[in-house]
Amino acid sequence: MNNNTKQRLYFFLVTVVTILVIGKFVYESLKKNSVYFFSPTDLKNIIEIPNGLIRVGGMIKEKSLKKNGNKYSFIVTDFRNEIIVNYTGIKPNLFVEGQGAVIEGILNTRNNLLASKILAKHDENYMPKEVADALKKSGDWKKNYGK
Amino acid sequence: MAGTWGNHEGSLLLFILIVSLYGTLFSFFYKNNTKFKSWVIFFQNNIYLIFLIFLIVKSNPFDLIIPTPREGLGLNPILQDPLLIIHPPFLYLGYVGFSLTLSLVLAALVTKQLNSAWAKISWPWVMVSWVFLTIGISLGSIWAYYELGWGGYWFWDPVENASLMPWLAGTALIHSLLVLKIKNEMRNWTALLAILTFSLSLLGTFLVRSGILNSVHAFANDPDRGIFILLIIFFITTTALVIQISFSSYFKDKKIYFFSKESFLSINNFFLLFFLFVILLGTIYPIFLAAFGETISIGPDYYNNILAPFVFIFLIAMSIGPILKWSQNIRLNELYFVFIIFLMSLLISYLVIIFTQRNELILFLGLASSLILIITMMFELYKNKYKIKIINYPRFCSHLGVGVLLLSIFLNSYFSKTKDFEIQIGQTKNFYNLSLNLINQNIYKIENYLEMKTDFEILDGKNVFTLKPSIRRYFQPDQITSETSIKSTLLSNHYLVINLPDLNSTIIGARYYYNFLIHGIWFGLFLIIIGGTLSVFKKRN
Repeated sequence: MNNNTKQRLYFFLVTVVTILVIGKFVYESLKKNSVYFFSPTDLKNIIEIPNGLIRVGGMIKEKSLKKNGNKYSFIVTDFRNEIIVNYTGIKPNLFVEGQGAVIEGILNTRNNLLASKILAKHDENYMPKEVADALKKSGDWKKNYGK
Repeated sequence: MAGTWGNHEGSLLLFILIVSLYGTLFSFFYKNNTKFKSWVIFFQNNIYLIFLIFLIVKSNPFDLIIPTPREGLGLNPILQDPLLIIHPPFLYLGYVGFSLTLSLVLAALVTKQLNSAWAKISWPWVMVSWVFLTIGISLGSIWAYYELGWGGYWFWDPVENASLMPWLAGTALIHSLLVLKIKNEMRNWTALLAILTFSLSLLGTFLVRSGILNSVHAFANDPDRGIFILLIIFFITTTALVIQISFSSYFKDKKIYFFSKESFLSINNFFLLFFLFVILLGTIYPIFLAAFGETISIGPDYYNNILAPFVFIFLIAMSIGPILKWSQNIRLNELYFVFIIFLMSLLISYLVIIFTQRNELILFLGLASSLILIITMMFELYKNKYKIKIINYPRFCSHLGVGVLLLSIFLNSYFSKTKDFEIQIGQTKNFYNLSLNLINQNIYKIENYLEMKTDFEILDGKNVFTLKPSIRRYFQPDQITSETSIKSTLLSNHYLVINLPDLNSTIIGARYYYNFLIHGIWFGLFLIIIGGTLSVFKKRN
């Protein structure tokens, strides 16, 4: 084995080990930072309650929004099941009763979410894709949504 | 105006227009009528043709709307902004410019001319595209900062990632092209990067236009067309790779010098591609999982946590790399000033940490590594004066820009603050040594929207200034947007947004952002763009 081949071999081995270590690191981080999405029905049926950050999507139930200072509570529904959401902060402009929204937060109990972020839609026609899918799944998708 | 490229057909039309524009400009500026030139034009025209077919078959822009609507459909109001008129064309000039790069590479492969002479011809074209892409991304970032009212400039949104990926690949391409130009090496690698860059540009188009993404940018979408674009990406990439494999030249066994310019340029390439890979994974993984019925989203922490430690090493390598020499190891005693700079940077960062009492490792390392880069660049300027060596201004500007950019990003992310509050007219709120007083609140009817304007009087220490955030309600389409109000000071921005008050209520919800050193970010980007532009026009022997 001449010097050059040896050098290449070392280089190759170091590269493989580095890639494996970094790959593992990246994968772990990807898993840790994945925020899973659930519909209210998913949360009702799920066996083990997720304990990290999750997203819940659906429609904001009409007349469910209550406000106390900057504390809000409202109900998110996919017309089969509901979940009560508590949120402290500023309500986004596009957050309106009867419209779709995606809420990010941590589950308190099976049907209570402590929200940290509200991701509201962008215009009057737009429906978050996750919400549309969740509604399609629950069978309450109306043709005129998301046009 | 922006309406033309706000929709799908228009944007594709723009895309095709630019493909042909680059082809025409190339045939105009490249005078030698050689076989090489005809091949470039051949490949460029093929790309043109593919997209033209796509346009005609799938999305004819001149479809008549019958019956003619009485009022235009109305463009999403957040897009009704002058910045938005120029943001997409710049972005597209960048994306599509890489189609010419691809044609140049393929033509060089076919005519077996992939050498340093070729690199000299291609250099300005690659740089032009890269500069346009950089400007496009910067404009997008500035727009997001002023218009969206989220207080930030980058959100790791899939579409932002889609534009960053070709940028990273393009940056890697520039650096490997440099090696090709000067040392006539890394040929296959350069070719591969050129293919990768254009494929990622197309992927960017696909991600934005297909509707599989849920983002602020996914304005015009249709899954059907998405599949078509995916097919085009697959077709172009495969063809390009086949050409590359069939025409690629020999592999040369060579001694590797670790402390040489080439090896540091390779390190640059590895890192850039690693960043690209991480971002690609974060962008694609949710789409991939969606195919199995699971819906997830990737938080920004994923990107920040993974990229940060590698950015430190990247910055340090970036400081050392340019000092090294081609094809030889540098002697350690020539690097003495680098060690001085290391110590200086560590000391300054340590002082910052002590002074601000922000005892955080990432902040410390981020500060230190970007300072190392900035100080090295400065030192080079000073050292060159004595050696009467010509300074490479394009590199100087763009590398300094990267240093300033990353320094500002680290400082911004650690020293920015935000506060939500509710306020009524006449009330005063106090926080962060500030005192905010809502003095006025009026509603106006303007053209196609209603606007509620507010005047806040803000007392910051001894300075008094007014911020006038407002909120607009558009009717066509029915939509509400917040207009931000920003006061710039020497080191920071006071950034205020208000929300629509609830019905029958005079209480206004507001969010205040203290954005530290946001100017630094814009200035860094500006330097990078200047550096790139200089390099387009630079004559090299």
